[in-house]
Amino acid sequence: MLRFILARLFSTIIVVFGVACLVFLLIHLVPGDPVDMMLGENAQMADRQALREALGLNQPVGIQLLNYFVHLLQGDLGTSLHSREPVVQILAERIPATVELAIASLLISCLIAFPLGIIAALNKGRAWDKTAMGVSMLGVSVPNFLLGPVLILVFSIYLGWLPVSGRDGLVSMILPAVTLGTALAAVLSRMIRSTLLEVLHEDFIRTARAKGDSYYQVVIRHALPNAMLPIITLLGLQLGVLLGGAVITETVFSWPGIGKLTIDSIMKRDYPVIQACVLLISLTYVVVNMLTDLVYAWIDPRIRLGQSS
Amino acid sequence: MSDLPGSLSWLWKGCSLLIILFMVACSTPDNHAIRFGLANAPISLDPRFATDATSARINRLLYQRLVDFDEQFRVVPSLADWQRINNTRYRFTLRDVGRLFENGEHLTATDVKATYDYILDAGNASPHRGSLLNIKDIVVIDDNTVDFMLNNADPLFPSFLVIGIVPASVATQGQVLNKYSIGSGAFRFVDWPGNDQLIIERRRDKQRIEFIHVQDTTVRVLKLIRGEVDMLQNDLPKELVRYLEKRESIDVDHLMGNNFSYLGFNLQDPLLADKRIRQAIAHALNKKSLILFLLGGETVSANTLLTPDHWAGLKTSQSYDYNPEFARQLLKSAGYHQSHPLQLEYKTSSDPFRIRIATIIQQQLAEVGIKVRLRSFDWATFYGDIKAGRFQMYSLSWVGIKNPEIFRYVFHSESIPPKGANRGRYSSTVVDELITKAELSVDADQRVKYYQQLQQQLLQDLPYVPLWYEEHFMATNKNISGYQLVKDGNYDGLNQVMKKL
Repeated sequence: MLRFILARLFSTIIVVFGVACLVFLLIHLVPGDPVDMMLGENAQMADRQALREALGLNQPVGIQLLNYFVHLLQGDLGTSLHSREPVVQILAERIPATVELAIASLLISCLIAFPLGIIAALNKGRAWDKTAMGVSMLGVSVPNFLLGPVLILVFSIYLGWLPVSGRDGLVSMILPAVTLGTALAAVLSRMIRSTLLEVLHEDFIRTARAKGDSYYQVVIRHALPNAMLPIITLLGLQLGVLLGGAVITETVFSWPGIGKLTIDSIMKRDYPVIQACVLLISLTYVVVNMLTDLVYAWIDPRIRLGQSS
Repeated sequence: MSDLPGSLSWLWKGCSLLIILFMVACSTPDNHAIRFGLANAPISLDPRFATDATSARINRLLYQRLVDFDEQFRVVPSLADWQRINNTRYRFTLRDVGRLFENGEHLTATDVKATYDYILDAGNASPHRGSLLNIKDIVVIDDNTVDFMLNNADPLFPSFLVIGIVPASVATQGQVLNKYSIGSGAFRFVDWPGNDQLIIERRRDKQRIEFIHVQDTTVRVLKLIRGEVDMLQNDLPKELVRYLEKRESIDVDHLMGNNFSYLGFNLQDPLLADKRIRQAIAHALNKKSLILFLLGGETVSANTLLTPDHWAGLKTSQSYDYNPEFARQLLKSAGYHQSHPLQLEYKTSSDPFRIRIATIIQQQLAEVGIKVRLRSFDWATFYGDIKAGRFQMYSLSWVGIKNPEIFRYVFHSESIPPKGANRGRYSSTVVDELITKAELSVDADQRVKYYQQLQQQLLQDLPYVPLWYEEHFMATNKNISGYQLVKDGNYDGLNQVMKKL
């Protein structure tokens, strides 16, 4: 187990280093000047020069890259060009919001996908199957920037149950989580249906039925746990995507997450913030992947025992 | 449920916990506060650094400045009266109002000197330094009096002293007030907990104002309807304004503004260097129908950069009326007709409203036989292109222009980027002379005459086709009263606004 983690750590460092370099070079080569973005149209040339010097942007790109890595190794992510806040502080404000939304969306997508997938698998080819898959298709076809405002119209304006937008207590998390969760549920329910169908044809299922277990017990205690591996892979991937930030949902609901921060800082060419966000997103993917592997081992004794032998 | 496998019973427990928390954790917003919806979040509460419109407008409420502007955009005393001692020396005497800083200190001439010295120090990289380079020295005479010494004579010098005054202790310690303010304005800072909510308090009656940032336009309107936001100003497309006008629970108000929208040309481009082409484009535009159908009711067709009620504004009845037939004739005389149409490229930013306007202009120009290719870019790329001269036509606005020194910045032959904003590379000795004469004239009436001649010449030469002055509008819930829109779109109406509960 330890060797596995160390090997993963090593490859993580290489991947993250590569990503950071690539993004740094690309963002500096793209047209657009952060100093212009900050000063606006009325600023004089002298002011632009002074600001460029103050921010260290007048040095060659190679030197800037070196400075960046030197600071990074000391744990200093730099300060935002725009708001002069330390980047660590900006991220610290945004990460909890992203994590909350990610977990809530994943929970809601599981709540929707598991029943739909199980019903579809057990009633393969019949009306229930087609309905369940149709409903989940709806979830993925309706885009977030439409579903979000429609949910707001129904639940906030007409019914008045929930707040419109903003991160303001647990209640305000419901609409954005539902918006995100329904899209994820579609893919998840299809995966659950197809893996369940494979498992339901196995011999041990027939044995369990023959023993006298009810359909419900067969599915929940025997079939589902054996179908979990691909489902967990998918959940892991989805968690990675969600932690990277769901830009459209965050914009619609004014949810202060990482996705919106990344897009906004790209628009403003706020280099330190872009770097930090990309670093964070790539690290997140790697960590989530690693956790997914660990969960495999926990859930499936075959993998656990296979490793130790 | 006793035979549920461990993972599933966890799920049920988790869900019930969530439901209980949901029922318990409903937050109660402060109903006494007036909530103002914003399209863009403020970036900095330090007047020495803030350049974006939202921060500048909020800083007007938190800090006092030496001068301000009246209805004709003439400079008038705000924190101080002034006296012109000689050509290069102005004496400012502080008045009685607005002298108490939020930290209890008393505002004196020392604070004024410290604020401006901080900005003039190149090492601090303040974006406002460029407009103050004429200041040679600042001398404190006594607690209420401070002298500004200039390098060159400038009759309009006081109009540059619009920066909010910060305490000397802040300036000399090199402190930057990004996330909170220490000002002496009509409002004081309360809190800025997250990116999307800024709370300030009106000093005289403790009325709180919350600025709530909601980027999506539809959601902002929905928040207003539900009452989670009490007022919105600007940044909505016309169909949403019409939607709000129809609702009985919302009051909508309009006012003509001074944001000048224009079509810019690259005069070094061989096609656009020909004045007949620019005139043809001006005559091909049906500004009336654009204003009627696309823009707000108080939008006014423009002939020049300064609004007609500006003290130096152009008073003329000459304009380029909508005359597609004449436009076609002009194009024919320049050698373009149906079988040899003129082809131009029109660049714009990725703002959906600007793209909409550009599409309509493209169609209006097509009707006189000009084929326009529309290209939209994200702001940073677009701005880079127009500064570098990589364009034929583009459209933009000048926001909140009060000082006629803008003419030097935009139209003088030496103001080509990066030195200035003469992106079209326009060069006219007549205009250069008029700009210099107007800047140097001491007689106010003569100065107005020069600016009139200057703007008349620009209208003839057409480096820009002037479009319109955009309107401001306000949507408030019925329980809000007393807010007045102001021509340059700032939030000074918050000084008087009241909320009935």
